[in-house]
Amino acid sequence: MSENIRVLTVDDSASMRALLRAALTSRGYNVSQAEDGVAALEWLTDNGSDIDVIVTDINMPRMDGFGLIEALRGQARFRDCPILVLSTESSDDKKARARSAGATGWIVKPFDAEKLDTALRRVTH
Amino acid sequence: MFHNPETSVGSPIRITVMQGQVYVGTGSHEILTTVLGSCIACCLYDPVARVGGMNHFLLAEPSPNSGTVADQNYGIYLMELLINQMMTRGGVKSRMKAHLYGGANMYAGMARIGDANACFARGFLSEEKIPVLRNDVGGEMARRVDFDPVMGRTRCRTVEPVAAPAPKPVVAPHSGGGDLELF
Repeated sequence: MSENIRVLTVDDSASMRALLRAALTSRGYNVSQAEDGVAALEWLTDNGSDIDVIVTDINMPRMDGFGLIEALRGQARFRDCPILVLSTESSDDKKARARSAGATGWIVKPFDAEKLDTALRRVTH
Repeated sequence: MFHNPETSVGSPIRITVMQGQVYVGTGSHEILTTVLGSCIACCLYDPVARVGGMNHFLLAEPSPNSGTVADQNYGIYLMELLINQMMTRGGVKSRMKAHLYGGANMYAGMARIGDANACFARGFLSEEKIPVLRNDVGGEMARRVDFDPVMGRTRCRTVEPVAAPAPKPVVAPHSGGGDLELF
Protein backbone atom coordinates (compact mmCIF):
# COMPACT_ATOMS: atom_id res chain seq x y z
CA MET A 1 0.00 0.00 0.00
CA SER A 2 1.68 3.17 -1.19
CA GLU A 3 -0.41 5.19 1.31
CA ASN A 4 2.15 4.42 3.97
CA ILE A 5 5.31 4.86 1.92
CA ARG A 6 7.33 7.95 2.76
CA VAL A 7 9.53 9.06 -0.12
CA LEU A 8 12.13 11.81 -0.34
CA THR A 9 12.74 13.07 -3.88
CA VAL A 10 15.93 15.01 -4.57
CA ASP A 11 16.06 17.04 -7.78
CA ASP A 12 17.38 20.52 -8.56
CA SER A 13 14.65 21.18 -11.12
CA ALA A 14 11.62 22.81 -9.53
CA SER A 15 9.49 21.72 -12.46
CA MET A 16 10.60 18.12 -12.10
CA ARG A 17 9.95 18.24 -8.36
CA ALA A 18 6.41 19.45 -9.06
CA LEU A 19 5.87 16.69 -11.61
CA LEU A 20 7.14 14.05 -9.19
CA ARG A 21 5.07 15.39 -6.33
CA ALA A 22 1.91 15.30 -8.42
CA ALA A 23 2.61 11.79 -9.69
CA LEU A 24 3.38 10.36 -6.25
CA THR A 25 0.87 12.15 -4.05
CA SER A 26 -1.93 11.13 -6.42
CA ARG A 27 -0.89 7.53 -5.76
CA GLY A 28 -0.96 7.97 -2.03
CA TYR A 29 2.70 8.52 -1.24
CA ASN A 30 3.83 10.80 1.53
CA VAL A 31 6.25 13.00 -0.39
CA SER A 32 9.07 15.19 0.90
CA GLN A 33 11.45 17.01 -1.39
CA ALA A 34 14.92 18.54 -1.48
CA GLU A 35 16.64 20.56 -4.17
CA ASP A 36 20.12 18.99 -4.00
CA GLY A 37 22.29 16.65 -1.97
CA VAL A 38 23.10 19.21 0.71
CA ALA A 39 19.45 20.07 1.28
CA ALA A 40 18.60 16.35 1.35
CA LEU A 41 21.21 15.62 4.02
CA GLU A 42 19.95 18.55 6.09
CA TRP A 43 16.38 17.34 5.81
CA LEU A 44 17.37 13.77 6.64
CA THR A 45 19.33 14.92 9.69
CA ASP A 46 16.07 16.15 11.16
CA ASN A 47 13.64 13.66 9.63
CA GLY A 48 15.69 10.64 8.63
CA SER A 49 13.77 8.09 10.63
CA ASP A 50 10.62 9.13 8.79
CA ILE A 51 11.67 8.03 5.32
CA ASP A 52 11.22 4.70 3.54
CA VAL A 53 12.88 5.36 0.18
CA ILE A 54 14.94 8.08 -1.49
CA VAL A 55 14.75 8.99 -5.17
CA THR A 56 17.59 11.19 -6.34
CA ASP A 57 18.74 12.94 -9.49
CA ILE A 58 22.44 12.83 -10.35
CA ASN A 59 23.39 16.20 -11.84
CA MET A 60 22.77 18.77 -9.12
CA PRO A 61 24.69 21.78 -7.79
CA ARG A 62 26.44 21.81 -4.38
CA MET A 63 26.24 18.01 -3.94
CA ASP A 64 25.33 15.63 -6.74
CA GLY A 65 23.54 12.33 -6.45
CA PHE A 66 26.74 10.30 -6.15
CA GLY A 67 27.91 12.41 -3.23
CA LEU A 68 24.53 12.10 -1.56
CA ILE A 69 24.47 8.32 -1.87
CA GLU A 70 28.01 7.99 -0.51
CA ALA A 71 27.21 10.29 2.41
CA LEU A 72 24.07 8.33 3.27
CA ARG A 73 25.71 4.92 3.04
CA GLY A 74 28.32 6.21 5.46
CA GLN A 75 25.63 6.62 8.11
CA ALA A 76 24.41 3.48 9.86
CA ARG A 77 20.75 4.50 9.85
CA PHE A 78 20.68 4.86 6.04
CA ARG A 79 22.73 1.77 5.23
CA ASP A 80 19.63 -0.24 4.32
CA CYS A 81 17.38 2.54 3.04
CA PRO A 82 16.54 1.99 -0.65
CA ILE A 83 18.01 4.73 -2.84
CA LEU A 84 16.92 4.94 -6.46
CA VAL A 85 18.59 7.18 -9.02
CA LEU A 86 16.19 8.95 -11.39
CA SER A 87 18.23 10.66 -14.08
CA THR A 88 18.38 11.60 -17.73
CA GLU A 89 21.79 9.92 -17.68
CA SER A 90 21.96 6.34 -18.90
CA SER A 91 25.65 5.61 -19.45
CA ASP A 92 27.14 2.42 -18.06
CA ASP A 93 29.96 4.26 -16.30
CA LYS A 94 27.52 6.50 -14.43
CA LYS A 95 25.45 3.48 -13.43
CA ALA A 96 28.57 1.67 -12.29
CA ARG A 97 29.55 4.66 -10.18
CA ALA A 98 26.10 4.77 -8.58
CA ARG A 99 26.22 1.04 -7.90
CA SER A 100 29.64 1.44 -6.32
CA ALA A 101 28.37 4.30 -4.16
CA GLY A 102 25.58 2.08 -2.87
CA ALA A 103 22.52 2.93 -4.95
CA THR A 104 19.75 0.35 -5.00
CA GLY A 105 18.75 0.90 -8.61
CA TRP A 106 18.52 3.25 -11.56
CA ILE A 107 15.60 4.66 -13.53
CA VAL A 108 16.17 6.63 -16.72
CA LYS A 109 14.05 9.71 -17.34
CA PRO A 110 11.57 10.39 -18.78
CA PHE A 111 9.81 8.59 -16.00
CA ASP A 112 6.50 6.84 -16.28
CA ALA A 113 4.45 7.41 -13.13
CA GLU A 114 3.04 3.88 -13.17
CA LYS A 115 6.50 2.34 -13.54
CA LEU A 116 7.89 4.57 -10.81
CA ASP A 117 5.06 3.49 -8.52
CA THR A 118 5.83 -0.16 -9.25
CA ALA A 119 9.55 0.39 -8.65
CA LEU A 120 9.00 2.15 -5.33
CA ARG A 121 6.68 -0.56 -4.06
CA ARG A 122 9.15 -3.21 -5.19
CA VAL A 123 12.12 -1.78 -3.28
CA THR A 124 10.17 -0.97 -0.15
CA HIS A 125 8.57 -4.38 0.36
CA MET B 1 27.58 35.64 -39.93
CA PHE B 2 29.12 34.38 -36.70
CA HIS B 3 32.56 35.52 -37.82
CA ASN B 4 35.09 34.50 -35.22
CA PRO B 5 38.85 34.43 -35.89
CA GLU B 6 39.37 31.52 -33.51
CA THR B 7 36.91 29.19 -35.11
CA SER B 8 36.38 30.38 -38.67
CA VAL B 9 38.93 28.09 -40.27
CA GLY B 10 36.89 26.10 -42.75
CA SER B 11 33.15 25.95 -43.00
CA PRO B 12 31.17 25.19 -39.88
CA ILE B 13 29.37 21.92 -39.55
CA ARG B 14 25.64 22.59 -39.62
CA ILE B 15 23.67 20.51 -37.15
CA THR B 16 19.89 20.48 -37.56
CA VAL B 17 18.10 20.11 -34.23
CA MET B 18 14.81 18.44 -35.00
CA GLN B 19 11.68 18.43 -32.87
CA GLY B 20 12.22 16.23 -29.84
CA GLN B 21 15.99 16.56 -29.94
CA VAL B 22 18.74 18.12 -27.84
CA TYR B 23 22.22 18.90 -29.10
CA VAL B 24 25.15 20.31 -27.15
CA GLY B 25 28.16 21.60 -29.05
CA THR B 26 31.28 19.49 -29.06
CA GLY B 27 33.65 22.47 -29.08
CA SER B 28 34.38 22.23 -32.80
CA HIS B 29 33.11 24.74 -35.34
CA GLU B 30 29.41 23.95 -35.45
CA ILE B 31 26.23 25.89 -36.13
CA LEU B 32 23.06 24.48 -34.63
CA THR B 33 20.00 25.27 -36.69
CA THR B 34 16.28 24.66 -36.53
CA VAL B 35 12.98 25.90 -37.94
CA LEU B 36 10.15 26.61 -35.55
CA GLY B 37 6.44 27.21 -35.72
CA SER B 38 4.62 26.76 -32.43
CA CYS B 39 7.54 24.75 -31.06
CA ILE B 40 10.14 26.36 -28.82
CA ALA B 41 13.91 26.18 -29.12
CA CYS B 42 15.91 27.12 -26.07
CA CYS B 43 19.57 27.97 -26.63
CA LEU B 44 21.66 27.72 -23.46
CA TYR B 45 25.19 29.04 -23.15
CA ASP B 46 27.82 29.05 -20.44
CA PRO B 47 30.23 31.88 -21.34
CA VAL B 48 32.99 30.62 -19.06
CA ALA B 49 33.03 27.01 -20.22
CA ARG B 50 32.10 28.23 -23.72
CA VAL B 51 29.66 25.43 -24.13
CA GLY B 52 26.23 25.81 -25.63
CA GLY B 53 23.31 23.69 -26.68
CA MET B 54 19.84 23.80 -28.17
CA ASN B 55 16.64 21.85 -27.71
CA HIS B 56 13.42 21.84 -29.73
CA PHE B 57 10.18 20.89 -28.07
CA LEU B 58 6.58 20.51 -29.22
CA LEU B 59 4.62 20.94 -26.00
CA ALA B 60 5.17 22.34 -22.51
CA GLU B 61 4.34 19.59 -20.03
CA PRO B 62 1.62 16.98 -19.57
CA SER B 63 -1.23 17.56 -17.15
CA PRO B 64 -0.10 16.32 -13.73
CA ASN B 65 -2.56 13.46 -13.44
CA SER B 66 -3.06 12.65 -17.11
CA GLY B 67 -0.88 9.56 -16.98
CA THR B 68 1.06 10.91 -19.95
CA VAL B 69 4.81 10.39 -19.79
CA ALA B 70 6.79 13.64 -19.97
CA ASP B 71 8.90 12.35 -22.86
CA GLN B 72 10.82 13.93 -25.73
CA ASN B 73 7.72 15.80 -26.88
CA TYR B 74 7.71 17.92 -23.75
CA GLY B 75 9.73 20.89 -22.67
CA ILE B 76 9.91 19.74 -19.08
CA TYR B 77 11.99 16.75 -20.19
CA LEU B 78 14.00 18.39 -22.96
CA MET B 79 14.92 21.38 -20.78
CA GLU B 80 16.35 19.10 -18.13
CA LEU B 81 18.10 16.99 -20.74
CA LEU B 82 19.68 20.11 -22.22
CA ILE B 83 20.87 21.40 -18.85
CA ASN B 84 22.29 18.01 -17.87
CA GLN B 85 24.10 17.53 -21.16
CA MET B 86 25.54 21.04 -20.78
CA MET B 87 26.77 20.08 -17.30
CA THR B 88 28.32 16.90 -18.67
CA ARG B 89 30.32 19.09 -21.06
CA GLY B 90 31.55 21.37 -18.29
CA GLY B 91 28.70 23.86 -18.11
CA VAL B 92 27.66 25.24 -14.74
CA LYS B 93 23.97 25.91 -14.26
CA SER B 94 24.44 29.14 -12.33
CA ARG B 95 26.44 30.59 -15.23
CA MET B 96 24.02 29.60 -17.98
CA LYS B 97 22.21 32.19 -20.09
CA ALA B 98 19.23 31.46 -22.30
CA HIS B 99 17.74 32.58 -25.58
CA LEU B 100 14.17 31.56 -26.41
CA TYR B 101 12.68 31.34 -29.89
CA GLY B 102 9.49 30.12 -31.50
CA GLY B 103 6.09 29.76 -29.89
CA ALA B 104 4.20 31.19 -32.86
CA ASN B 105 0.45 30.83 -33.17
CA MET B 106 0.34 30.13 -36.86
CA TYR B 107 -3.12 28.74 -37.37
CA ALA B 108 -6.20 30.77 -36.54
CA GLY B 109 -8.82 28.84 -34.64
CA MET B 110 -6.35 26.40 -33.12
CA ALA B 111 -5.39 26.36 -29.48
CA ARG B 112 -2.65 28.87 -28.78
CA ILE B 113 -0.02 26.19 -28.25
CA GLY B 114 2.75 28.63 -29.05
CA ASP B 115 1.75 30.94 -26.21
CA ALA B 116 1.55 28.03 -23.78
CA ASN B 117 4.97 26.80 -24.84
CA ALA B 118 6.57 30.21 -24.45
CA CYS B 119 4.93 30.72 -21.07
CA PHE B 120 6.22 27.37 -19.89
CA ALA B 121 9.76 28.03 -21.10
CA ARG B 122 9.97 31.42 -19.40
CA GLY B 123 8.55 29.98 -16.19
CA PHE B 124 10.94 27.03 -16.23
CA LEU B 125 13.97 29.24 -16.74
CA SER B 126 12.79 31.63 -14.04
CA GLU B 127 12.44 28.76 -11.57
CA GLU B 128 15.89 27.51 -12.51
CA LYS B 129 17.28 31.05 -12.13
CA ILE B 130 18.65 31.04 -15.67
CA PRO B 131 18.42 34.55 -17.16
CA VAL B 132 16.81 34.97 -20.58
CA LEU B 133 18.95 37.34 -22.64
CA ARG B 134 16.81 37.21 -25.76
CA ASN B 135 13.19 36.26 -26.02
CA ASP B 136 11.83 36.23 -29.56
CA VAL B 137 8.57 34.31 -29.23
CA GLY B 138 4.94 34.53 -30.26
CA GLY B 139 3.45 36.18 -33.31
CA GLU B 140 2.22 34.29 -36.34
CA MET B 141 5.41 33.71 -38.29
CA ALA B 142 7.72 30.72 -38.44
CA ARG B 143 11.35 31.28 -37.46
CA ARG B 144 14.72 29.91 -38.45
CA VAL B 145 17.28 29.97 -35.67
CA ASP B 146 21.05 29.54 -35.99
CA PHE B 147 23.19 29.17 -32.89
CA ASP B 148 26.95 29.11 -32.48
CA PRO B 149 27.45 26.99 -29.35
CA VAL B 150 31.07 28.06 -28.82
CA MET B 151 30.49 31.82 -29.01
CA GLY B 152 26.92 31.78 -27.75
CA ARG B 153 25.68 33.86 -30.66
CA THR B 154 22.27 33.40 -32.21
CA ARG B 155 20.50 34.63 -35.28
CA CYS B 156 16.75 34.43 -35.73
CA ARG B 157 14.87 35.19 -38.93
CA THR B 158 11.21 34.92 -39.75
CA VAL B 159 10.47 32.58 -42.64
CA GLU B 160 7.46 31.50 -44.62
CA PRO B 161 5.13 29.24 -42.61
CA VAL B 162 5.63 26.47 -45.15
CA ALA B 163 9.26 26.24 -44.00
CA ALA B 164 8.19 25.08 -40.56
CA PRO B 165 7.43 21.38 -40.36
CA ALA B 166 3.92 20.59 -39.17
CA PRO B 167 4.12 19.88 -35.45
CA LYS B 168 3.33 16.31 -34.53
CA PRO B 169 4.29 14.10 -31.62
CA VAL B 170 7.49 12.13 -31.94
CA VAL B 171 7.20 8.44 -31.25
CA ALA B 172 10.58 7.21 -30.08
CA PRO B 173 11.62 3.57 -30.07
CA HIS B 174 11.42 2.05 -26.63
CA SER B 175 14.67 2.86 -24.88
CA GLY B 176 14.01 1.40 -21.45
CA GLY B 177 13.19 4.84 -20.10
CA GLY B 178 11.25 4.60 -16.87
CA ASP B 179 12.17 0.98 -16.21
CA LEU B 180 13.85 0.07 -12.94
CA GLU B 181 17.32 -1.46 -13.20
CA LEU B 182 18.14 -3.04 -9.88
CA PHE B 183 21.79 -3.23 -8.82
